[in-house]
Amino acid sequence: MTTTTLPDLTLPTRPSRLRETIAAVLVGAVVLVSIIGLDIPWTELSDIPGRVAEYLRLMFAEPSWEKLPRALFETWRSVSMAWLGAIGCVVVSIPLGMLAARGVGPAWLRFVLRRSFAVIRAVPEVIIALVLLTVTGLTPFTGALALGIAGIGTQGKWVYETIESAQEGASEAVRAAGGNTAEVTRWALWPAAAPALMSFALYRFEINIRTSAVLGLVGAGGIGTMLSNYTNYREWDTVGMLLIVVVAVTMVFDLVSGSIRRRIMEGGRARAVDR
Amino acid sequence: MTEAASTTQPDGVATPWSITLEDVSVTYPNGTRALRGVSAHIEAGEMVSIVGLSGSGKSTLIRTINGLVPATSGRVVVGGHEVTGLRGRALRQLRGHIGMIFQSFNLADRTSVLNNVLVGRFAHTPSYRTLLGLTSAADKELALRCLDSVGMLEKVWARAGALSGGQKQRVAIARALCQQPSVMLADEPVASLDPPTAHAVMGDLARINAERDLTVLINIHMMDLARQYSRRMIGLRDGEIVYDGPAASATDADFEQIYDRPIQSRDRMGSAL
Repeated sequence: MTTTTLPDLTLPTRPSRLRETIAAVLVGAVVLVSIIGLDIPWTELSDIPGRVAEYLRLMFAEPSWEKLPRALFETWRSVSMAWLGAIGCVVVSIPLGMLAARGVGPAWLRFVLRRSFAVIRAVPEVIIALVLLTVTGLTPFTGALALGIAGIGTQGKWVYETIESAQEGASEAVRAAGGNTAEVTRWALWPAAAPALMSFALYRFEINIRTSAVLGLVGAGGIGTMLSNYTNYREWDTVGMLLIVVVAVTMVFDLVSGSIRRRIMEGGRARAVDR
Repeated sequence: MTEAASTTQPDGVATPWSITLEDVSVTYPNGTRALRGVSAHIEAGEMVSIVGLSGSGKSTLIRTINGLVPATSGRVVVGGHEVTGLRGRALRQLRGHIGMIFQSFNLADRTSVLNNVLVGRFAHTPSYRTLLGLTSAADKELALRCLDSVGMLEKVWARAGALSGGQKQRVAIARALCQQPSVMLADEPVASLDPPTAHAVMGDLARINAERDLTVLINIHMMDLARQYSRRMIGLRDGEIVYDGPAASATDADFEQIYDRPIQSRDRMGSAL
């Protein structure tokens, strides 16, 4: 290595990092406050891995397959709940979401719909299910209803965002040909947005499959209720079997639905026109 | 506005309309002044090209004729109807008599060619029928004839998105013809096409003008296409008319005045072969 004297570099002044510093301090403060508020049993932390391993052994060393038929039946009820909920949600949110899109519905209606979607989004499915339970009682139908209502918030938002991002061109052409707003929506926006909306509908079904298990925990029926019951009975070998079923079924539905969605989004053949 | 305003002949050819612009100005909400006091009269059955650089106001001018862009001041009269005073249903009825094609074709890509062409019947059909997709036999027949007249009949069941650029523009022309229009507007119809296809589409428009005696207005920035396919040329610069005269005899100097710069190679499309 030769040491040659390089000319001094004139560094530009470093930009202020005050904002980043303040953000870091704030995040740190929030973490500290949360730890204090939670009352964490520090001395028992070291026992947790061992205890988790113990329960995992109880559940999965020898899962009991005796209740499998019953579990599959309850799974079917959960899937039905998810499916009905998804259909209800989509049937309601597509027209409402379209009316909430800029350029389709009038401004006052857009405002009302968007606020309603936001309110629904703010309420978790479980809360809606708990409220409905007091009205309709303990049935899987309550779960379907809760899933249907709770989904409208997000689904409606997806619909109007998709419609608004549909390309301008075809709409202009329909308007230039003398079409009214309804015709623009039906023959320019809908063809452009339909595959994305179908895909979102299937995605809603996937989400509902996962959520339906949670709804079962509060008593809406299906596999979640069975899981909750056997956890209370402390029959860990059955709980293990149920968990395996839940995970396997969820994964299978995700896979199938996901591959259908991919096919929808990437096209395929045009629907035959039968007129 | 009534259907009788444009007397449709039995073979589906409507009577052409004249167009009058009186001191038309357009200022967009963002403050852009796209047109400044434009006046022109276009006879029924004329084929006129509107030449200018992008941003000169061509697209705005052509859109004031069917009311897609409302004129801020001045009068636009098409076939005896004052576009500037029309709203709602009356405006949609008028648009039904004015066909339009676009640079980016503006088809609904995910539906069939036939459904796209049937859009041309919307202004002449009750909404409940178009929304439910209930096509009358007469409308379907007309749509098929329009597709045939641009040589696209064999693609009738194809998805519009699966067509090439030139094919899409022909379907778009069929969609406009299906309106049985009295005026045809074309906004940069060949700017997205290669030279042979561009000449074919311009040839289609010239043929429509000649055969159907239709008033045709074409926005274009290619000087050779303007000279070759139109008789009259209107030059726009910064929202004002700077040339209005015969197209074939327009000199390079005339074009340089419209473009406000020397002519460049991209101002010519080139020949078809």
